[in-house]
Amino acid sequence: MISFILFIAVIGYSISRAGLTMPEKFLRDTTGYVQQWFYKPAGYIAGLFQDIGNLRSVYEENEQLRMTAAAYARDKVEYNAIQQENDRLSAALKFTEEQKKIYDYKYLIAQVVAVSPDAYNRTLTINLGAREGIRERMAVVTVDGMIGFISKVSELTSTVMPITSLNAEESGISATVLGKQKQSFGILSGYNSETEHLLMTKISAEDPIKKGDTVITSGLGNVFPRGMIIGTVESTQDSDIGLTRTANIKLAAKLDQLSEVFVVKTAEASK
Amino acid sequence: MKMQGMVLLTYLAFILQTSLFPWLVPAEFSDRIIPHFTFVIVMYAALYHSRHSALLLGVGFGMLQDIVFRGHLLGLHAYTMGLIAYFIGLMLGGRRLTMLSALAVVTMASLLYDLAVYYVYEVFRFTSEPLAWALQDRIFPSLFLQLAFALAIYIPMRRWFEGMVRLKPKPGKE
Repeated sequence: MISFILFIAVIGYSISRAGLTMPEKFLRDTTGYVQQWFYKPAGYIAGLFQDIGNLRSVYEENEQLRMTAAAYARDKVEYNAIQQENDRLSAALKFTEEQKKIYDYKYLIAQVVAVSPDAYNRTLTINLGAREGIRERMAVVTVDGMIGFISKVSELTSTVMPITSLNAEESGISATVLGKQKQSFGILSGYNSETEHLLMTKISAEDPIKKGDTVITSGLGNVFPRGMIIGTVESTQDSDIGLTRTANIKLAAKLDQLSEVFVVKTAEASK
Repeated sequence: MKMQGMVLLTYLAFILQTSLFPWLVPAEFSDRIIPHFTFVIVMYAALYHSRHSALLLGVGFGMLQDIVFRGHLLGLHAYTMGLIAYFIGLMLGGRRLTMLSALAVVTMASLLYDLAVYYVYEVFRFTSEPLAWALQDRIFPSLFLQLAFALAIYIPMRRWFEGMVRLKPKPGKE
């Protein structure tokens, strides 16, 4: 009975509190240090077998990549021109230094060192911490798209909360649709493991969102960076009372067997 | 010395299940097969050593997991692991269980552990998925893994733990 009361007390304490205490940090860092000896070599060996299996598809992939590279070179010229135009206009409109830097993101490469063995809390541990300038609520992405955000930071390691483990109260990541950033808005809330879809709620009835659209973060509120790919819309439906709509989103990034991830450092957070 | 060996072994199992094991399962199953290797070792400690050391191991390594993978709640795994280990030790510790019944106990206990974790998350509204889905999607597939691991380490664990008990016989126990 006493242990039960203690348990409830600890849980209540952990819900209300955000930071980490010294012993917690110490334990996390030492364990993270040991874990990284195991995770990376295991990843290499698993990767080797996968590579042998993939040999056949490499040729096709190469062909595709060549085409993508050609398209990239073409777009790069256009991008440079637009970038210059944009700089000139910002200067003409007398943007402050802060406003200019707001979309200047840095990507830090992090190694995953461990995955949580708890189905409802699949957090990842990465080997960057407060020493490298990681702060809470920075976005974490892979080359395919966003996978989560930093939830806890200690000196040498930090914890990544994946977007699949979010519940409605905690998340509040605002999202929009690629190409319709002005008209579209919704909030990511909750993941349905049964259908493997992320829910996007609070979409207005006039929203032009439709099946097949690419959903990205909107960056409104300047907590999360803008333009991080989340996934594609699979279906939309009216919500229970019919005032707003919800969309089911298929995630772009795969969350299993990650080895390298990128932490997105926004200008505001790096101050 | 022996207790240190036990802690070291459980720590190795913890590292194995968090850092090595995610690479061993195929990617499609990584959300469905979830290892509880430390829990299996704690169960053996409860069955073949003593309920007190099992309680300590369970609370300690549950807390380690809670802190390292700090997510929604703190203390959940420490509590469930410690409690289940203590009661299994209280009910069945000291009896000479055969291999089959020991495996059955470990399986039942890990089912109980998964259910307890599921219900706590449900009470605090961190999950909304129905129990039937949770059972079918991950609890039963993971149970087979736990069973296989328990079978693999049964003989060394039993020899080791029983050897430890024999080294320091307590009055009142056979």
